[in-house]
Amino acid sequence: MTLGELAVTIGLLCVLGLVARRFGLSAIPAYLLAGLLLGPNEPKVLSLIQPSEVTDFVADLGIVFLLFFLGLEFSLTRLTRTGRHVGLGGTVDLVFNFALGLIVGVAAFGFTFAGLVLAGCVYVSSSAIAVKGLIDFRRLGDDETDLVLAILVFEDLVIAFMLGFAAAGGGAPSETLVLVAKALGFITVGLAASRWLSRPIDRLLDRLPLEFFLLAVFGFLVSAAAIADQLGLSEAIGALMAGIVLSETSVREQIEDRFFGFRDIFAALFFFTFGLSIDIGAIPEVGWLVALAVVLTLVGKLGGGLIAGAAGGFTRRQSFNAGVALVAHGEFTIILAQLASENPLVGAGESRDLVAFAGLYVLATATIGLVLMKESKRLGRVFFPTPRLIEER
Amino acid sequence: MPVDLRETRLPGVGVKYTFRTAIGGRLAVILHIDGQREIYFYRRADDDEPSAVIDLHDDEARQLGAIIGGAYERPQIVEDLELALGELHIEWIPVPDTSPAIGLTLADARLRARTGVTVIAILREPEPVSGAQPEDMIEQGDTLVGVGKGGQFVEFRRLLASGPFGDEAA
Repeated sequence: MTLGELAVTIGLLCVLGLVARRFGLSAIPAYLLAGLLLGPNEPKVLSLIQPSEVTDFVADLGIVFLLFFLGLEFSLTRLTRTGRHVGLGGTVDLVFNFALGLIVGVAAFGFTFAGLVLAGCVYVSSSAIAVKGLIDFRRLGDDETDLVLAILVFEDLVIAFMLGFAAAGGGAPSETLVLVAKALGFITVGLAASRWLSRPIDRLLDRLPLEFFLLAVFGFLVSAAAIADQLGLSEAIGALMAGIVLSETSVREQIEDRFFGFRDIFAALFFFTFGLSIDIGAIPEVGWLVALAVVLTLVGKLGGGLIAGAAGGFTRRQSFNAGVALVAHGEFTIILAQLASENPLVGAGESRDLVAFAGLYVLATATIGLVLMKESKRLGRVFFPTPRLIEER
Repeated sequence: MPVDLRETRLPGVGVKYTFRTAIGGRLAVILHIDGQREIYFYRRADDDEPSAVIDLHDDEARQLGAIIGGAYERPQIVEDLELALGELHIEWIPVPDTSPAIGLTLADARLRARTGVTVIAILREPEPVSGAQPEDMIEQGDTLVGVGKGGQFVEFRRLLASGPFGDEAA
């Protein structure tokens, strides 16, 4: 990738991102679309950028920053204080949607590892898109927003464990057990470190001049990612752990302030790079899968929302709003598919289909999800009219 | 009187406070992590669309909070306003111009030891003293903000008006 190509890339990201924003949509599908357009696959007229070591490296940094920020928001004290809906709502959502995802996965790849990853892709909603929608559509004051955010927290927890699995799972059962144990161990060490190391890290970072503060945090983040990668756990888990360790320190806000920009730029380039490898040529094979997955997602997220809402004491309209907010899929679906496609145990054909599926599926659900979310209150009044004691007129 | 205030954490967004108003509406206040505030007002508690949403920056929200909380102009409007906190009261007591306590520090005046009322703040131009310390001096024109039990303020006002303080008191 040359500087000129990078300039064109960034320009297109800006334009498509702004267009998406104009229509009240998320930037994530816009970035994917930009990659799809400029990538080596159809349409070939615009093919300008080839996936290379450079784009792969930039994409790695994108994953690292996305997971680092997830970790920063993850701290133990916050998790224990997020309230009553997390366990119940999160479990209903998991059981329902992972099961439906498994139907799609098995239909696509049979009872294989790739099928399992695909189920994960269908299960996990997009926190980024849901939160953006809740803010833009003025839903933060609504009671059901608590339920949506609680379910998202639960999904984040599940995903933390699935990341390592997607990157290196798929071997014999014994190897998978070892992997799960390693992932559990790594995250436990992270949580313990965030408890005991936060004071010394605080004191150290507090004393550093700004320039070295940035370098120290960045160095810590990259080392954690590299170590996890060497342990066969994927850089994603390492970055997540680095975030968790720093989440209990007093410099957390400062870190978030200073690294927001890095995250946004590298995340945009990550989605773009992922878009590069989406092959529309695979549509005949995966098109019906995407359609099936979208339908099952609507069933699963709306149905799950209604059940979780009823259990949590919400009205049907409120539960409907909550379910709709979870339809959009985004960053985690893409990250899971990306990690699995790099997994040597996933075949080239499966990997191609998985990437195409994830890309198209996110394009579809992110758009449908936000449009539905915008209209959900109107739809709710139509589907669940207020019961009247005496029929009017 | 007690408002049924509910606090919920919004992971990744901030904190939300909600309560129902006496006339049947519902208010939700959101403190964003970045300091932005939002106030949602639902005319009826079970409305699904808010009737109004107000966006405020950090400094605007603080200003509004101070006005609503009554920290502004309060003593000039109502001389003897009191706020019942269960058994405890907060009262605003203007220092009489002839008070023998003028020129003494709070510690020297031994107001708490002698009446049971604790002075928590001193309102004066141009800067009020929030969190009054024992070494803060009582000046002419001050209004003392005291916390104590209802009956203790009678003695507090008498003492403030006519003393005696210092050596004479012994």
